[in-house]
Amino acid sequence: MRYLMTTKGGAEADEKLYAEMGAFVEEMTKAGVLLATGGLEPRGLLVTSAGGEITVTDGPFLEAKDVVGGFALVEVRSKEEAVEVARRFRKIVGDGESQIWQVFA
Amino acid sequence: MPGMTVEDVHRTIDAVWKLEAAKIVAALTRLVREVGLAEELAQDALVAALEQWPSGGIPDNPAAWLMTAAKRRAIDHLRRLERLERRQEQLAHELEHAPEPEPEDGDVLRLMFVSCHPLLPTEMRVALTLRLLGGLTAGEIARAFLVSEQTVVQRVAQAKQALADADVPFELPAGTELAGRLSSVLEVVYLIFNEGYSATSGDDLIRPALCLEALRLGRLLAGLAPGEPEVHGLVALMEIQASRSAARTGPSGEPLRLHEQNRGRWDPLLIRRGMAALLRARENPRPPGPYVLQAAIAVTHARARTAEETDWPQIAALYDALLRVTPTPVVRLNRAVALGKVHGPETALAVVDELTADPALKDYHLLPSVPADLLALLGRPAEARAEFERAASLARNTAERAFLRNRAAALPAAPPGQGDTLAEAAEAFLARDDLTPATRRSYTQTLHRLTLYPGPGTPLGALTPDHVAKAFATTWPDAAPMTWNRHRAAVRSFADWTSAPPRTRPTADLAARLPRHPEPRLPKPPLHPAEVARLLNAPDIPLRERALWSLLYTSSPTITEALALNVEDLHRRPAPPDPATASLLTRLTGARTRGPLFLSDLITRLESLALSDLSSLLEELKSSPTPLALWPRLIEALTTLTRPRKRPFWKR
Repeated sequence: MRYLMTTKGGAEADEKLYAEMGAFVEEMTKAGVLLATGGLEPRGLLVTSAGGEITVTDGPFLEAKDVVGGFALVEVRSKEEAVEVARRFRKIVGDGESQIWQVFA
Repeated sequence: MPGMTVEDVHRTIDAVWKLEAAKIVAALTRLVREVGLAEELAQDALVAALEQWPSGGIPDNPAAWLMTAAKRRAIDHLRRLERLERRQEQLAHELEHAPEPEPEDGDVLRLMFVSCHPLLPTEMRVALTLRLLGGLTAGEIARAFLVSEQTVVQRVAQAKQALADADVPFELPAGTELAGRLSSVLEVVYLIFNEGYSATSGDDLIRPALCLEALRLGRLLAGLAPGEPEVHGLVALMEIQASRSAARTGPSGEPLRLHEQNRGRWDPLLIRRGMAALLRARENPRPPGPYVLQAAIAVTHARARTAEETDWPQIAALYDALLRVTPTPVVRLNRAVALGKVHGPETALAVVDELTADPALKDYHLLPSVPADLLALLGRPAEARAEFERAASLARNTAERAFLRNRAAALPAAPPGQGDTLAEAAEAFLARDDLTPATRRSYTQTLHRLTLYPGPGTPLGALTPDHVAKAFATTWPDAAPMTWNRHRAAVRSFADWTSAPPRTRPTADLAARLPRHPEPRLPKPPLHPAEVARLLNAPDIPLRERALWSLLYTSSPTITEALALNVEDLHRRPAPPDPATASLLTRLTGARTRGPLFLSDLITRLESLALSDLSSLLEELKSSPTPLALWPRLIEALTTLTRPRKRPFWKR
C-alpha cells in the first residue's frame, strides 16, 4: 500500500535537524519504504475551474502554520506501518502535524 | 495510549516488528552466533511487547524498546552458558557495559546471505528469508504460497536446523565464493517477486503483497551491497515489472501481453526508479550479468510510449548479450521474437525452426505459438493453425489452452479433400482391435509425439519421412537403442497400415530416415546415489515430478501405488520418512485437502509408457544432457533400482 504524508509547521530547521532528517531519509530509502520525498515552496499556484473556465492565480495564501512544507510517498504493508514511519518523522521535526492518506493506484 | 484497543496495539507492534525484524535478528545473531537461536530470542522480545504494551502503553521509541529487550534476552542466554564456560561470562559482562552499538548494516547483509544459503532447498530459503528479513508470520507466508501454516513452520525449523548442523558462519562470503552466494540471494528475492507477480488469480491480497516484500528486500539489498551491479539490475527489473501491474490484465481479468497493454496505466514512478537502479548498475565497469541485461530489456520496453515505438534493434542486441551469459532455450526464443521485429518474420522463423529441434523445449507450449504467429504474419494460415493447435495441446492451463484454440480456430484450415488428418489417422490406427494393450500403450506414446510435430491437423498425405526424422531427433535424441527401435517399429507399423487399402497414403517409407540402432546386450550398473541426487535436484524438473520421483526413490512403492495416493492419505498415514520428500509433497498439495495427490493427466501419461528396457535406460540417463526429457522413464527406473522393495511408508 502507498501512503502520501504531508507535513505542516514544525521548528525552524537547524543543522542538527538537517543531519537527523538526512539520516532518516536515507534509512527509509534503503529499507525500500520511501519512494519519493521533497520539500514544497511555501506559496504555489492555484488553479480553479468554475463554469468550465480555468483560472490560474498565485496562492493559496495560508497562515504559516497551515503551509504544507513537504511530502513523502511511502510503500508499506499496512496503515500501522505508515503511522510508525510518520511517528519517527515527527520525533525528528518536533511540534506540528503530519497528514497521512492512502494512495489508490 | 488513549483510544487504542488491544487489537490496535497489537497491530502497531506487528508494524514495528516488521520494520525492525531484520535488524533485531541480525544484531542477535552477531551476539549468539546462531540464526535459529537469535530468532527465538527476538520472538521472546516480541512476546514481551505483546504482553506489556497493551497495559503499559506503547513506549516512546518502540523500535529501540524491542531491540533492547531482545539484546537483554541474548545476554541472559549467554549468562546461562557461563556456568559451562567462564569466558562467556566475560563476554556477557563486556557486552552489557559496552556502549550500545549502532545496528550494523553489515549484520543485516550477513543475515541475508545466511538465510539464502545454497545448502538449503529453495523453498526453505524463501520461507526463512521472509520470516527473518521481512518479519512475516508463518501464517502470512503460508497464505502467500498457498501451503499450510504447518508446512511453513516445518520449513523454517528444518532450515534453522540445517544451518546449525552445517555450522554456517555469520560472515560475508569472500572472494570467489561471493558471486555464487550472491546469486543465491538474488534468486530467492526474484522467486518471491515472481510468486506474487504471476498470481493472476486468487482473492487473497497477500500474494500480490509478495511483490512488495521482494521489492523491499531488493531495495534493502541494494542499500547494503551498493557495489554489486546485479543487485541493482534485479531491483531495476522488479521495479519495471511492478510498474506494469495495473496494466497487465484486461477488464475481465484476462492477461494482456506487453504490446496490448495500455501504457498510460504503467506506473511512471516505478519506471523512473527502475531506470535509476539500472543506471546505478551500469556505473560498474564489469560486463553486465543476466539481471542487468533483463532489466535493460525491460527499460527499453518502458521507454517506448507505444508498442510501435519499441526499439527492437536495441532489444535484439540485449538478447544477444543475454544469450551469451544465460544460453537457455527460452532466451533464444525471446531473441528470435526480437529478431523477427527487426529483420522480419522470415528471419525469426529460421531461428525458431532450429529451436523446435531442441529436445529441452519439446513440451514448452509457448514455443509453437511463436512460429504460429510468424506463419500467420507470413500469410501461411494453414501452417499457423497447425502450430496453434500444437501449442494448445501442450498448454497446461485451461485459460491458455482456450486462448490458443481460439487463435487456431480463427485461421482457415488446410484445403479439404486431402483425406484424414494425422490425428484422425492415428486415432483410427490405435483403435484397432488386433493390438495387445501393451502394444497399444507403446504405439500411443510414439504416435502422440509424432502428431505433435507437423501438428495434429496436418493431412495424413502430407506427412513425410523428414517430419518423422525431426520428431525423433527432437523427442528421443539420446534414446537407448532399444527405445529408439521400439518407436521406429511403431512408425513402420503405422506407415504400413495407412498405405494399405482402404487407406490411401502414398507408400513412402516413413521410417526411411530412421536407421535401426544396434542394441547392446549387457545390463548396466545402477545409478550412483550421488547421480540420483543430482537428477532429483535438477532445477528444471517440475515440482510434481520431483515429488513423485523423490517419493518413489525414498519409499519405493510401485508406481501404481504411488499414483493411487490421495491427498487425504498423507494426513491419515504415517509421514514420509525423509524430510525432503515430505516437504515436496506438502508443497505439492498446497491448499488442497482431498483428491488425487498426483493429478490425473500425469497418470494417463505414465500409463501410456512401455517400460521394458530399463537396463539400457540407465545408460541413457548417465549420458543425457536433458534428464528432464527422460523423467517418466526415470521414475520407473528409480523405482526399479530400489528393489527388493521396502514397504511403502503408508503401509508400515
